[in-house]
Amino acid sequence: MKYRKITILVVCFISLCCIFLYGVTFYKYSSVLPSGSALEKPNLLHILGTDDLGVDIFAQISRSFFHSMFIGLSCAFITFILGGVLGISAGFVGGKVDILISFFINIALSIPQLPVMIVLGAFLGQRTSNVILIISAFSWGSIAKIMRAKTISICDKPFIKLAKSYGGTNFYIIYNHLLRQLLPLLSVNAIAVIGSAIIQESSLAYLGLSDPLARSWGLMISKATRFNGIFFTEFWKWWLMSPLVSLVICTVLLRLLSKELQQILQN
Amino acid sequence: MKGFFILKKTILKKTVLLLVSFLAIYLINFILPRCMPGDPFDYTSAVVGEDNLFEMSTEQKEYMRKYYGMDKPIFTQFMETVKQNILGNLGESIHFKKSVAQIINERLPWTLLIMTSTLIISFILGVALALFNDENTILGKYIYNIFSVIIEIPPYIIGIVLLFTVAVRIKFIPISGAVTPFISYSSTIHKIYDIFIHSLVPVLSMCIVTIPKFYFTANASFVDIRKKLYVYNAHLKGIKNSRISYKYILINGITPVIVRLFLSVGSLIGATMLIENVFAYPGLGLIMREAVKYRDYPLIQGIFLISSILVLLNLFVADIINSVVAKEVLK
Repeated sequence: MKYRKITILVVCFISLCCIFLYGVTFYKYSSVLPSGSALEKPNLLHILGTDDLGVDIFAQISRSFFHSMFIGLSCAFITFILGGVLGISAGFVGGKVDILISFFINIALSIPQLPVMIVLGAFLGQRTSNVILIISAFSWGSIAKIMRAKTISICDKPFIKLAKSYGGTNFYIIYNHLLRQLLPLLSVNAIAVIGSAIIQESSLAYLGLSDPLARSWGLMISKATRFNGIFFTEFWKWWLMSPLVSLVICTVLLRLLSKELQQILQN
Repeated sequence: MKGFFILKKTILKKTVLLLVSFLAIYLINFILPRCMPGDPFDYTSAVVGEDNLFEMSTEQKEYMRKYYGMDKPIFTQFMETVKQNILGNLGESIHFKKSVAQIINERLPWTLLIMTSTLIISFILGVALALFNDENTILGKYIYNIFSVIIEIPPYIIGIVLLFTVAVRIKFIPISGAVTPFISYSSTIHKIYDIFIHSLVPVLSMCIVTIPKFYFTANASFVDIRKKLYVYNAHLKGIKNSRISYKYILINGITPVIVRLFLSVGSLIGATMLIENVFAYPGLGLIMREAVKYRDYPLIQGIFLISSILVLLNLFVADIINSVVAKEVLK
């Protein structure tokens, strides 16, 4: 079976989505309001227990999943457009445009990510839209670089030259030849961005630079670790571990998925 | 000769790139805080009930702005800043009431300690694993698969897990800080032991993620070398396997791993900053977070500048090694 691994990954991811979908729709507890006593152990009513304010943890995790996915998908979309357009135009037009865009790509790749994100996050303010902008600003570089290299290698092929000599317009060549070959690669790279964007958002939230009102895994982790006495009690077993484990599972699944897809594309 | 010219040209190109990236970072660093609404005086005077409870009058604020030179036109401010920075003066921290250079001087060694020890340990272990691990055995396959999952987990998550499962459970491993507070050392060995035991878990949690990175780079490079005819020939000549590993595969395949070593400083500095926050390790990351909390612009800018210079220089070294190797190939 060629696609066995990828099927397993996709099934895992879809079931993860379903579990969290249940958490935001039919699950009877709110993710914002307290619904039990503080710091309850996981039991039949609260399947993952409650936090220090008595808010159900499973409901919070489910909300955070969709928040994180929203951030990840938005970043992926922005980088998809930005990286694709810049990379393809650099490779296709060439000349001065290429030099200029490559230069920006190199700068974007050489700036250390987290310190800049901290600086931008500190100065721009803690809103979800800002977090999305900051993360996308540092994700497009690598995609644009890959796209540029691929475009150049395709443009060297004889069928492009033939199409040009027959009088094919630039639009025709980009739409019919380039995009058809580049889109799969671009989408696979965008999937990888979803995973890393979720990680970056959680790191920003852990440092207290994400939207403090939105539910997010990083914020839950940071809250739990800052709770007095978390080291001497058993609370961490459900309060800290559940957002941590769901964050790891979600990002690892996404990254492995994009890796597998990339391998399929290469063969 | 041709190779030499190309080398010279690439080094020139890389230097220009280095300088322009530095300029870009410097400009971001300078302009960004000045575009933002509010300033440190608004923050320190009308505080959210934290440290100080006094409120500055408008005249006082104006006076402070003038004192820090914030009322001048932006270009004059820029030239002043450049002049001061060249002299080694990064400004005065508004919250800590110390010079930024002094704070960085105190904190940077801790960050460098963690980073370099992580790099060295994971470089050696990653290369050794790649050299001796045979991917065709069952164990080798397991290592490969486990590593490809671990590599996707952010180090700070592993840090938190280790903090709660290892550092808290085991008595002699401290859970935070870089040295035991208020301790007087009986000997140098005692001091080294204290520093070692404090950095153990932070370094370990970063190594768990970076070892696979070096392993994969080294593995890819060694696999290529193993296919070369001269290695095959060496096997036929009956040279011992260990000698082939060291003299043929390691020497010829190590360059990409060394390049990777310098390239990974960029991502590692971010990881270190997060790990420092997990373990309250008094490096740049911890102070950066405090600086962000108090809107201490000069300090944020100083730390950002130092870490960017660190990363850019390492990238530059990696580029130079790459172009030197490319020249060797051209010859």
